[in-house]
Amino acid sequence: MKIRSIKIKRAPVALVGAIAGLAGVVGFHSATRAPGLAGSPAPASGSGGGLGSKGTVSTPASGGGTNPSQGQAGGSQAGGSQAGGSQAAPQSAIGAKEQYGYGLLAVKVTVAGNRITQVSVPTIQVADSYSGSIAQQVIPMLRSQVLSLQSARINGVSGATYTSEAYAMSLQSALNKLHFK
Amino acid sequence: MVTQKPPRPWVVDTAVVIAGIGLGATIGLALIAETRSELVAAGGIAIFLGNLTAMAGTYLALVMVVLVSRIPAVERSVGQDRLVRWHRRLSPWPLSLIGAHVVLTTIGYAQADKSGALHQLGTFLSSYPDMAEAIVAFGIMVVIGVLSIRALRARLRREVWWTIHLWMYLALALAFLHEIALGPSFVGHPLARAVWIVVWLATAGLVLAYRVGLPLLRSYRHRLKVVEVRREAPGVTSIVCSGRDLDRLAVSGGQFMLWRFLARGIWWQAHPYSISALPRSPYIRLTVKEVGDHSGALAKLHPGTRVMVEGPYGAFTRHVQHHKLAALVAAGIGVTALRALLEDLPGGPGGAHPVVIVRASRPADLVFHSELATLVKHKRGELHEVVGSRDEVSFDEAALRSLVPDIAKRDLYVCGPEGFVESVVGIARRLGVAPEAVHHEAFSL
Repeated sequence: MKIRSIKIKRAPVALVGAIAGLAGVVGFHSATRAPGLAGSPAPASGSGGGLGSKGTVSTPASGGGTNPSQGQAGGSQAGGSQAGGSQAAPQSAIGAKEQYGYGLLAVKVTVAGNRITQVSVPTIQVADSYSGSIAQQVIPMLRSQVLSLQSARINGVSGATYTSEAYAMSLQSALNKLHFK
Repeated sequence: MVTQKPPRPWVVDTAVVIAGIGLGATIGLALIAETRSELVAAGGIAIFLGNLTAMAGTYLALVMVVLVSRIPAVERSVGQDRLVRWHRRLSPWPLSLIGAHVVLTTIGYAQADKSGALHQLGTFLSSYPDMAEAIVAFGIMVVIGVLSIRALRARLRREVWWTIHLWMYLALALAFLHEIALGPSFVGHPLARAVWIVVWLATAGLVLAYRVGLPLLRSYRHRLKVVEVRREAPGVTSIVCSGRDLDRLAVSGGQFMLWRFLARGIWWQAHPYSISALPRSPYIRLTVKEVGDHSGALAKLHPGTRVMVEGPYGAFTRHVQHHKLAALVAAGIGVTALRALLEDLPGGPGGAHPVVIVRASRPADLVFHSELATLVKHKRGELHEVVGSRDEVSFDEAALRSLVPDIAKRDLYVCGPEGFVESVVGIARRLGVAPEAVHHEAFSL
C-alpha cells in the first residue's frame, strides 16, 4: 500500500532529525553547563504538600555522627587553622532559610582560606516523615558533593530535586556572606 | 466556486523532519537531566528510565494530537484517512511508554525511600504536587487505551467511543501539571520548561483553532439548512442543503465534511460524509448510506433543520493527479466521493478521459447511474458497472486489465470499504501503476 512506501522513504528522514535533535540538546547543554542548581530559580513553594499544619518535625540532620563523607572535613568550626593548612582562620556562616516543596532548611558552611571545609544543616523542618526520611538520606550525599566540588553548583540528587535546590540556594547565600569566591 | 489550494508535499516532509528533531530533543532532555551521582544513588536507574519513558511517551502523545488537529495544509497534503491511520499506528507507543513510566518511577522512588511500591503510590498522592491529577490522567489513558483495542472498540457505537476518546485531551492537560512541577528535565531547567510549555500551548491552540474555531466560523458563515431529503436506493439517502456564500467554500470533488445536523437526538454527533456533488450555490449535497443510528436518522430529517459543518477534508482530489488520464474505481457507498471527483476532473480534449468502474453487489445498489453516465459522456470517458456478489463476479487483475488496458499510464483513484480499497491497490501495484499515481479513500464503517 501507499502508506508503507511513504514510511520507508520518510523513516530515515525522521531518524536523522531525531539524531540531530538529540545532538542539539546535549550539545547545547554541555556548552552552557555551568549554571547548575545554584543558578536556577526557586521552586514554587506552597505547591502541594508544603509546610502544612501537620506536626512539624525538626531534625538536626548531619553535623556529627553518620556522615559517610571522606576525610579532610575537619570537624572544628571555630578552632585553629589545622584544617587546610591555610593561613586564614576558618569562618562560618548560616545561609538563608529556604522553603521548598516539603519543608524548610538552612545550610551552615565553614570556609578556611579558599576551601569549604564543613557543611551542615542546623535547621530543617519537614512536613511529613517521608520527606524527613528522604532528607536524612539526601543531605549526606549533597554534603559530599559540596565538599568534593567545593562549590554550591552541585548536581543534586535524583528524586529530591526540591531539597537539592533549596540546599544549594541556602548554601550559596551562606557562601555569599563569607564572600567565598 | 473558489478552488482549493493544491496540496503541498513539502509540508509533509518538513513536518516529518520537525517531528524527528522533536523526538531527539525530548530524549536529549531526559538524558541531560541525570548526572552520574544521581544514577548510582538508590533507585537512580529506575527513576532515570521512568523519566526517559515519560518524556518519549508524552512527546509521542503530542505528535498524535497534532496528527488529528486538522491543520488544513496537512489535511490537504496527506489526507485525513492516512493521518488517522498514522494516529492509530502510533497509539500503542505513548500508552505503553507512559505505563512504563508509572511503574518505573514508582519503583525508583520506592527504592530511594526504602519502602514498598504501594506505599510509594500513597506518598505520591499525599505529598507531591499535582500527582492526584496525574494519576487520574493515567486512569483515563488506560480506559481509553483498553477501549481502543480492536475487539472492544467494535462493540461500542462509534459516537460513544468518540466521546470517550475526547477525554484524552483532559488527561493530557491533567498530566501536564505534574510534568512541569516534578519532571527532572524541567525542574531547574527553565529553558526546557519554557519550551515544553510553549509547544503544548501551541498544540492546544492548533486543536482549538482548527477543530473548534474554524468549524464554528464556517458553520456561522454558510448557515446551512436542509432543503431536501431524497432516497437514491435502498438504504441510500441524499441530503441537499442550502447556505450562504457557498461559492466561497473551497471544496474539491472527492472530499468529505463532518456534518452535524441540529435535530433532536443527533445534534451532539458529527459524522464524516462525502460531498456527492460539487456545491452549486446556494446548494450542496451529501449522500449517506444507512449503516448506523446516525445515518439511519438522517433519512427522517425535516427540511429546515440547521446544519453545522467541519472541513472539507481529504486528499482524494484532482490535485494529486500525476498523469493526464485517470481511472476511478468505487465500491458501495464509495461512489459518492467518486461522483464528485469525476465532476471535478478536467474534461475536454487533453482532459482526464476517465474510465469509471462502479462495483455493486445488486443492480438496485447502483446509485447515481444517470448522473455518472452524463458526467462520463461530458468528460469523454467510459463507464463500467460491475454488478454481482463477490463470489459471482471477482474483481481481479484480469478484470481491471481488460477494463483499463492503459492503466499504467493513468492515475488510479479507489474509494470504498477498507478491504476493497486494499485489494484494488494491490492489483494496481501488480499491473505496474506507480505508487504515487494510486490514490485512495477508505471508509471504515
